[in-house]
Amino acid sequence: MSALSVQFKAVNKKYPHFALEDIDLELPVGSIMGFIGANGAGKSTTIRILMGLVHQDHGSVQVLGHSMPSDQAAAKLEIGFVSEDMRLYGPATLAWHMDFLRPIYPGWDQRYADKLVQRFDLKPQQKIKGLSHGQRVKAALLLALARRPRLLVLDEPTTGLDPVARHEVLQELMAVLADEDRTILFSSHNTLDVEQISDQITFIDRGRIIDSDNKEAFLDRWRRLRLVLPPDGSIPRLPGVVEVGGSSRLPVLTTNRFEPAMLSACSDLGATVQAVDTMTLEEIFVANVHCRRERLTA
Amino acid sequence: MHSDIVISQSDGRPMYLQIMEQVKQRVAVGEWAPGEEIPSIRQLAVSLSVSVITVKRAYLELERDGIILTQQGKGSIVAPNPDLAPRLYNEEFSEHLDQVARLGDLLGLSSDEIAHRTKEASNRLNEARFTKETLCKETL
Amino acid sequence: MNYSMVKTLVLKDWYFQRQAILLAFAGGAVSLGIVCIGGQAAFTIGLILLVTVMVMISAMTVMGNVLGERENQTLAFAMTLPISYVEYTASKILGNLLIFVPFWLTMLVGSLAVILISPAIHGFFAFAIIMAVEILVSTCLMLVVALVSESKGWSITAMVTGNLALNVVGYLVAHLPGIKEGLFGTQIYWTSTATISLAIEFALIALLIGGALHIQSRKRDFI
Repeated sequence: MSALSVQFKAVNKKYPHFALEDIDLELPVGSIMGFIGANGAGKSTTIRILMGLVHQDHGSVQVLGHSMPSDQAAAKLEIGFVSEDMRLYGPATLAWHMDFLRPIYPGWDQRYADKLVQRFDLKPQQKIKGLSHGQRVKAALLLALARRPRLLVLDEPTTGLDPVARHEVLQELMAVLADEDRTILFSSHNTLDVEQISDQITFIDRGRIIDSDNKEAFLDRWRRLRLVLPPDGSIPRLPGVVEVGGSSRLPVLTTNRFEPAMLSACSDLGATVQAVDTMTLEEIFVANVHCRRERLTA
Repeated sequence: MHSDIVISQSDGRPMYLQIMEQVKQRVAVGEWAPGEEIPSIRQLAVSLSVSVITVKRAYLELERDGIILTQQGKGSIVAPNPDLAPRLYNEEFSEHLDQVARLGDLLGLSSDEIAHRTKEASNRLNEARFTKETLCKETL
Repeated sequence: MNYSMVKTLVLKDWYFQRQAILLAFAGGAVSLGIVCIGGQAAFTIGLILLVTVMVMISAMTVMGNVLGERENQTLAFAMTLPISYVEYTASKILGNLLIFVPFWLTMLVGSLAVILISPAIHGFFAFAIIMAVEILVSTCLMLVVALVSESKGWSITAMVTGNLALNVVGYLVAHLPGIKEGLFGTQIYWTSTATISLAIEFALIALLIGGALHIQSRKRDFI
């Protein structure tokens, strides 16, 4: 079992109108985890607890071998953090920020920073307050990347970026992983990005982690089966069916425990398999959340 | 080592299958020679902007199929297996035939009708090749 | 305590407050100039101006420096640096005091110089020192309240309270036995009352700062 860069054990945090419950998280070194959840699901809170910005009520948090939040100063020396609601200093320039951070981080790589300035098409002498949203995001990312952190924590890194900028950012994030000692955790609404580059995916909804697995397993397990039933046929009972849609003779079953053997099982039970659809990560996530919420209200 | 593999996002098939196919094609065509070094899992993942785990899976399946070999800590190479090319095409041919059978079944065609249609397609290919050869001879 | 990071943060704060700081010193120099013109009227006007400028810059730097960080959402950026919250608080306290204190000290020394030059107002010596330190106390109060409450409303309340307290304390001290006899005299009049008053004021400052550091270290949600 490879070393873990982040480990949450039974973490709880209570707010007046929201609670994070029993959060268990394991992020192996050298991998990239995508964190998907609706607004208000608890992504940002979990990330803040990871950074030591919020103190958990219960449970242990280990980041790069440091206990959080007690050892946060040492941990943060090796972490690059970018969040949607974080701002750089408006009256200062990007160059000022680079000069400010360089003496603080021993791993600062100015050549890499200069390369990123070119790549992201930024102007170091421009004041932050004069930058567009996309440029500001890229600037913050640059400052996080240039310190060559062992752990990169990103809260919505591609939100609000145009497609070209998104592509550049994803490429730079992947470039970080060329070094197998470096790890990335990012939360995103953009399921396409998560689906493309994540090794591990975690779903969070209403303060709880509802599923966590490696990407290929997710994509393998979930299928939509389009069946054609005979006039007096009934829907075959299959394992892991979380949703049944379609009409009575043309049901569509969504299952999270698909196996090729299911297809012959269906035809054995009298149902013709018209199609077996793979599901995008977004479809998987929405189905997962719906199923869970329905189960809670039932 | 920069790979020249290109992935389509609109391709409905799983990413790892696309990668496998591209690697197989390169080997079949001879661009990647037997015994030649190929990009490591991480290198390919970075150059494609695709999860390491996906590339790892593709490489594992390719190794299982005997097309590449991964040496622990030393990267990956094309397997030194001379029977590669015909076997690759054979596999692809079988896969496509399975699909033809399934689609034919959906359309309600009988096995004979499916066979007939397959023969028609083969004839079309031969005709096109003959026409091209004739054109080439005429221009010379 | 990581003193290197605290220093980095203080310098950063000064950089962003540099215009306010320059303006303050300019205002202070002008006020001091007026005080030095000589004469009762100039002295009074100059002193009032001096105190006003001081109150204003302490308010501006606290608002801009302490509360501004949260408003402008740059607090997250600062807190993702390799520091603890105690170090952050220490840098805010130190940064603000180091802006305020030289200015305050200049005012104190200047006023004392003026007092010592003209024998007619020698009696003000003790009173001037006590009141000057009182200004320091009320500034610390506003700083600490801003840090701990993170609220503009409470900070302004603290500032107003500090101002009122200044007037009240001024009245009380001027009527204290041990001070009032020598107030209008031509001699420097120092008694134990004066010493005790100063001791109380400095104790208050230590309490405010220590209290702030303690409360901040116990906070669980920084963002």
